[in-house]
This record gives sequence, structure tokens and C-alpha cells, in this order.
Amino acid sequence: MNTAAFTLLAVFLGAYVVLDGYDLGVGAMHLLLPRSDDERATSLATIGPFWNGNEVWIIAAGGVLFALFPQAYAAAFSGFYLPLTIGLWLLMGRGMALELRGHFANDLWHDFWDVTFAACSTMLALVFGVALGNVVRGVPLDSNGYFTGTFASLLNWYAILVGLFALGALALHGLTFAAWRSAVLATDHAQRLLQYLWIAVLALFAATTWATLRVHPPTIGPILWMAPAAALCALFTVRFARNRALRFAASSVFLAALMIAAAATIYPYVLPSYPVGSGGLTIYDASAGVHGLFAGTVVFAIGFCIVAVYGTLSARSMLRKSDSLDGPSTGAG
Amino acid sequence: MNGAILSDRIQFALTVMFHYLFPIGTMGLAPFIAWYTVSGTRARDANALASAEFLGKIFALNFAVGVVSGIPLEFQFGTNWAAFSVKAGSVVGQPLALEGIYAFFFESVFLGVFLYGRRRVSARFYAFSAIALWLGSWLSGFFIVATNAWMQHPVGYHFAANGRIEIASLRTVLLSPFAFWQYAHVITGALLAGAFVVAGIGSYYLLGRRNEIFGQRFVRVGVIVGFAASLIAIFPTGDRNANEVTRNQPVKFAAMEGIFKTQRGAPEAIIGMPDTQHGRLIDPVYVPDLLSYLAYGNFRASVKGLDSYPADLHPPVELTYYAYHVMVGLGTLFALLAGIATYLLLRRKLYAARWMLWILMLAMPFPYIANEAGWIASEVGRQPWIVYGLLRTSASASPTVVAGETVFTTIGFAGVYFVLGVLFLLLVLREISLGPVERTA
Ligand code: HDD
Ligand code: HEM
Ligand code: HEM
Repeated sequence: MNTAAFTLLAVFLGAYVVLDGYDLGVGAMHLLLPRSDDERATSLATIGPFWNGNEVWIIAAGGVLFALFPQAYAAAFSGFYLPLTIGLWLLMGRGMALELRGHFANDLWHDFWDVTFAACSTMLALVFGVALGNVVRGVPLDSNGYFTGTFASLLNWYAILVGLFALGALALHGLTFAAWRSAVLATDHAQRLLQYLWIAVLALFAATTWATLRVHPPTIGPILWMAPAAALCALFTVRFARNRALRFAASSVFLAALMIAAAATIYPYVLPSYPVGSGGLTIYDASAGVHGLFAGTVVFAIGFCIVAVYGTLSARSMLRKSDSLDGPSTGAG
Repeated sequence: MNGAILSDRIQFALTVMFHYLFPIGTMGLAPFIAWYTVSGTRARDANALASAEFLGKIFALNFAVGVVSGIPLEFQFGTNWAAFSVKAGSVVGQPLALEGIYAFFFESVFLGVFLYGRRRVSARFYAFSAIALWLGSWLSGFFIVATNAWMQHPVGYHFAANGRIEIASLRTVLLSPFAFWQYAHVITGALLAGAFVVAGIGSYYLLGRRNEIFGQRFVRVGVIVGFAASLIAIFPTGDRNANEVTRNQPVKFAAMEGIFKTQRGAPEAIIGMPDTQHGRLIDPVYVPDLLSYLAYGNFRASVKGLDSYPADLHPPVELTYYAYHVMVGLGTLFALLAGIATYLLLRRKLYAARWMLWILMLAMPFPYIANEAGWIASEVGRQPWIVYGLLRTSASASPTVVAGETVFTTIGFAGVYFVLGVLFLLLVLREISLGPVERTA
């Protein structure tokens, strides 16, 4: 049961990374690619109807962590106090930028929110990566399971590497999404950007894999090499496939495989302690008790399936026409 | 206990009260939007659809700010209230996660369809998305209130060997009568506020002699729904809520009513200022025996006063008392006001009664005040407990977070919310002054 609950948590987080990842990526690329005001509005319209639903995944993942592993939730969130609060402000800034930009047809107003959107998205991708890096590496915990380190200790070289990798991977993801939904890759400039970015991601991928093996020696077998192998194949598909939808799918698989690898690395801990081997909060000692785990896992899994069905159906009906044909009645536009 | 507790509390109160302003708007407007969309689609009434689209824009602004201000709340349980989360997370986390999975997805997916889909999806699916929006917003309200109701009156739990509170039955937690009546009352309060907003905007159009077709629609629907909601807020929901509090949280009840001494045939204080030092109300106006009747259905019943409980179990009396009286006082006024307006409407005099339209327009903010006051009475009255009878607020904050950090983040939130609030008002007022777009059917 505990393993099932852990898997469910990983699924929610993975869904968040894949789905909100592309709109974060679009944000990180926002000032680099679309040049004119109109192009920027179009680019925003491609994510307009979806970003909020995507962001709910992090709320849901937070809820699942809270309900199933309350102690890990408490330790991680209070431990990462400042970075998380700042992350929240970034999320708020991003949401405001997306929703408020379209309300005035004024260049200054647009520029202001464009920069806000790009800056908040970029920093969020970094913050998420650094947080994930710290979770994989482990954080110093006391005997009650509370965080004992300092803010500076969260900015270790490994976490920063993961942060950069996350930024690169999400930016690539956003580009493949934008290329699929709009004409953004039509220029040479954009093509070149994509190639450089791809090479950077490949390099960061190699570096991160090597570093992960050093900071956190693997604990369980096959998933650990299968997931990175799958990620590698997906990464090459992103670069060389012809079909744009396929590229976006491959980029999604790439991120999902990375998340699986991360989850498999820390299992059976939800929050490993640093240095490695000094214990941490396992899926048993952080858990919500028998009934809580059982009821939660079942009810949340059912909810997940329901969301997946109507989410896909409505996304399909919304995607039928090209995004640029129809502006929203309010919001980004 | 740790030194950050004061700023933790200020931060929570600030952020949750700010957030709550926007769910009031979404939960209150959603039914009107659904009604206009469905009736407009069925009757091919272009102006009904235009009304829905107009209210939809205001809804979307409320939603956007509701979302950005709601996310910090969920995370605050972990960041600021870690000890509470460890102890009670097994229960509290459940309805919160259910809210995210079952309600927020629903709401945001269909809001995307509603805002962007007008020309992309079929008319039926479009109408369905409006109904889904209503369901979704009311469902989020339910889960969050169920969370709060459990903290007010814990049920369906047991203590684990390590001293933590673990959930024993999810069904008991979600279906407790306390949660039911609290939810019914909260939804009524939101609906009342939505109705007053709709009626207020309508009055503004009529007074300004512009968009008069819409003005009349809005005033008509707003006044009728507002009247019904203001009655339901008093009875049964307000009354039942008070009854649950009397039975489960008698100290809070005594503080809300300003009853210092246990007495038979307790009077209902209409006004009066609590003096906690001498344990009495200053300059009170009483209705004799009424309180005993309201609480127990018997004019001679004995009502326990604050003196029956040790002082360290008293909530802050003044705040609880005033907040409660503001809510009840405003609630009575709303019923009177909406009653008179309904009477004028039935006599076909309302649209020309400019004095009444002025009152309706200026009344718009007051249901918001009543709602916030109700929450203050309910949450402050719960003190010193965070989980009633089980866990004290003073033992709930994050042990590793220090006051310097929480003061910093509280100031940050105050700044961000100030900007957000100003932008929100600006954009809503702008939408109202642009108004709905009249169409010829
Ligand atoms: C426009 C809004 C509004 C109006 C007119 C009223 N209320 Fe209310 N009331 C609320 C909005 C509200 C609320 C904000 O929704 C609260 C906060 C917590 C809750 O359950 O609902 C609340 C709480 C609340 C509580 C405390 C529940 C608790 O502590 O858990 C009681 C006893 C009442 N109400 C009773 C009444 C009565 C007798 C009213 C008669 C006039 C009344 N309310 C009008
Ligand atoms: C599910 C919903 C809610 C939960 C779980 C919740 C939980 C809490 C918590 C954890 C605290 C901190 C303890 C304290 O400071 O005393 C608190 C305090 C408070 N809450 Fe709530 N709350 C909820 C809804 C609301 C709403 C909607 C409002 C008002 C709009 C509100 C108003 C307050 C206020 C004013 C305080 C400060 C009380 C004090 O410090 O004395 N709460 N609540
Ligand atoms: C009684 C008090 C509350 C009610 C009725 C309520 C209701 C709602 C509703 C209807 C929404 C949907 C968006 C909107 O309409 O603005 C929302 C958003 C949100 N609320 Fe609250 N809320 C309350 C208090 C809280 C508290 C205490 C929390 C913290 C746990 C919270 C967390 C959230 C979150 C995370 C969102 C964003 C959801 C999204 O992305 O769609 N809310 N709330």
C-alpha cells in the first residue's frame, strides 16, 4: 500500500512536470522567440486555455503528499521555507501576467507583463529543479524529521546542476509545444536556437546522470537504467523526428522518464536525509496511517482517471481548430 | 511554542481573508452565469448569452485572483504550520487533496472551455461548460469547508501510537452534520453576495440610463435571488449553524453572544460593548429570554456563560463578539432591504424607484463584510484550539521557521496582495463600465 501511495504521488508530480512544464517552457522562451507584440499574443493564446488546468497538478500533488505522507510534507515545506514562499510569489506573478495582459491594448502594459511572465517562468523552472535536486540528494534532518540545514546549504552544486538541467529541459519542452501549436519555428533564428538548446540539454543530461550516480548511489535495479535509456531515446526523437506532434510527445516521454528515474532513486524514502545513508523519512514512517493511505490512494487514483478522461476529451475538442484563429473573450489576447 | 506564532497567525488571517474575497465572487456568480447560458442557448436569446459572457468576464477575474491567492494557502499548512500538519495531516490532507483532484481540475478545465471555446465547441458543450463551472466552484467550497468543519468539530479520527491524529473514516469526516450546515451557510452567504453584485451592477446601469435592457434583467434576478438567499442565511442555515456551535463549542457561543454569566432565561443582546475585565456588557440593549429560546427552543433554558470555563479556554471575546454581531446585524438588514425591493418589483415600481436603486448599488460591498465577519467569528472563536479540543494553535507552528522569516514573508504577501487588489478593482470596474454588448437576436 505504501508503495502504491508513493507511485501515485510520483504520477501526480510527473503529470505536473509534463503538463505545466510546457507552459513554463513557453514562458522561459517568451522573450527570445516571438518578436512582435502580435506574435507574443499568439504564443500566449496557445497556452491560454490550458495553463491553469496544468497548474492544478501541483496543487493536487501537494494535496496528495499532504494527505498520504503528512510528515514529509511538513518537513519539506517548512525546511524549504524561503525558496518555497518565493516560488509561490513567482507562481502568482506568472498567473497574473497570463490573465491580465490582454485587458488593455497598450504596448507598455503588454511589455510589462511579457517580461514578468518570462522572468517568473524562468526562475520557477530553476527553483523547481533546485528543489528536486535537493530531494534526490537528501536534506539534513534531525531526529524528529525536521530540516536542520540553512538556506545556503540548499544551493549546493548538485542542486544547481539539476536546476539548470530542469530549465533547459523545460525550455526545450516549451519549444516543441510551441512548434506544434503555432508557426513559431518557421524562422532560421528559431531553428538555430532549438539546435543549441538541444545540445545543451544533452550535455546537461549526461552531467546530471553522472552526478546523480555519485551523490546518490542507486538502490533498486532495472528501472534505474531503463528510465535514463528511455529518456535518451526520447531526446533523440525530439531532435530528429519529422512530425511535430511526435516531437512534443517524445519530449513529454523524456521528462516523464526523468521523473521516474528520480522517484526510483529515492525510493523507499519520500525525503532522504543527507548525507546518503543517514536515513530519512521513508514511505512507512511518514505515512498517514492505514485507513488514510488506503482511502486516499483509492479515491485519488479514481479521481486521477476521471480527470484524465475529461481533461483529454475537452483538450481535444479545444485543439480541433488552430489556436491563432480564435482569441479568448478575455485573458491573454 | 515558538516566537514566530504571532506573525504566522497574522499571515494566515491576512492571506485566507484576502483569498476568500474571490471565491465569494466565483461561487456567487457561477449560478447566474449557468442560468443565463442555458436559458440563452435554449431560447436563442442573444441578450441572455451576452449577459452570461459579461458576468463570465467578472468571474474570470475573480477566478484568476482566487487561484493565485489560493495556492499560497495550501502550501502554508506545510511551510508555517508544520507541527499541525504532522499531527493532523492524515485527516486534514484528505479533503484538501480531494478538493484539488475532484474540484479544481473540473473548474479550471471547463473555465478554459467557457472562456476560449465559444467558437470552438458546440453550443451544447458550451452550455454544459457553464454548468460545470457552477458545479466545480460549489464543490471546491464544499471540500474546503469540510476541512474547516473538521477542525471546528473533529470526528472520524483516532490517535495513533505515536500521538498523531489519524483518519479512521473518510466518510464520517466528509458527511458530518457540522460540515453540512456550515457548508449550506457558507454557500448561502456567497450566493447572497453574488446576487447583490448582480443587482448592484444592474442598478448602476439603470441609474446611469445606459444598457437598460441588461440593467432591468440584472436588478430583477439579483433582487429575487438576494431576497431568497438572505432568508435562507437566517433560517435554516444560520440557525442550524448556531445550534451546532451551541452543542459542540459552548465557549465560542458564549463569546459570540457576550454571555459572561451562566443564567436561566438568557437575554439576546442586540447591541452592547463587551467589557472583559468586569465580565459584563456595557450599555446593552436586550431582548429578554430570547437567547435561551434560540439556543434551546425554550425560554427558560439555562445558557452557560464564560464563567463556566477556565480563562485559558476563552477565545478573544471582543473580536468574536463584534464580528458575530456585525454578521447578524447585516444579515437582518439584507433581508429587510431585499424584501422591500422585491415588493417594489412585484408592484412594478422598482425600475423607477431611484432611491432604492441607489441603495442597491451602494449595498454591493456589504455582503462581503458580512461574510468576512462570519469567518472571523468562527475562526477567532475557535481559539485557543486549532483542532477543537485536540490541538492548540500555540503548538502548531513550524518548529524550524523563525519569526524573522515569517515577518518577511508576511510583509511580502501584504505587498503583493495590495497590488493585486488594486489591479483587480481597476479591471472589474473597467469591465462594468464597458458593460455587456447588446445584440439583435
Ligand atoms: C452574507 C453572509 C452572511 C450572513 C447574512 C449571515 N452569515 Fe453567518 N456566517 C457567514 C456568512 C453570513 C459565513 C462567512 O459564511 C460563516 C463563517 C463560517 C461559516 O460557517 O459561515 C458564518 C458563520 C456563522 C456562525 C458560526 C459558525 C461557526 O462558528 O462554525 C453562526 C452561528 C452564524 N453564521 C449564524 C448566522 C445567523 C444567525 C445569521 C442571521 C442573520 C447569519 N449567520 C447571517
Ligand atoms: C478550510 C478552510 C480554513 C482552514 C483550514 C483554516 C485554518 C486556519 C488556521 C490553520 C488558522 C491559524 C490558527 C490561528 O491563527 O488561530 C486560522 C486562523 C484564522 N482563519 Fe481560518 N481557516 C479556513 C478558512 C478560513 C476562512 C475562509 C477565513 C476568512 C475569510 C478564515 C479566517 C481566519 C482568521 C481571521 C484566522 C485568525 C484567527 C486568530 O489568529 O485568532 N479562515 N484558520
Ligand atoms: C471557506 C473558505 C474557502 C473557500 C470557500 C474556497 C473556495 C475556493 C474556490 C471556489 C476556488 C476556485 C477558484 C476561485 O473560484 O477563485 C478556490 C481556489 C483555491 N483555493 Fe480556496 N477556498 C477557501 C479557502 C481556502 C483555503 C483555506 C485554502 C487552503 C488550503 C484554499 C486553497 C485554494 C487553492 C489552492 C485554490 C486554487 C485552485 C485553482 O487553481 O483552481 N482555499 N478556493
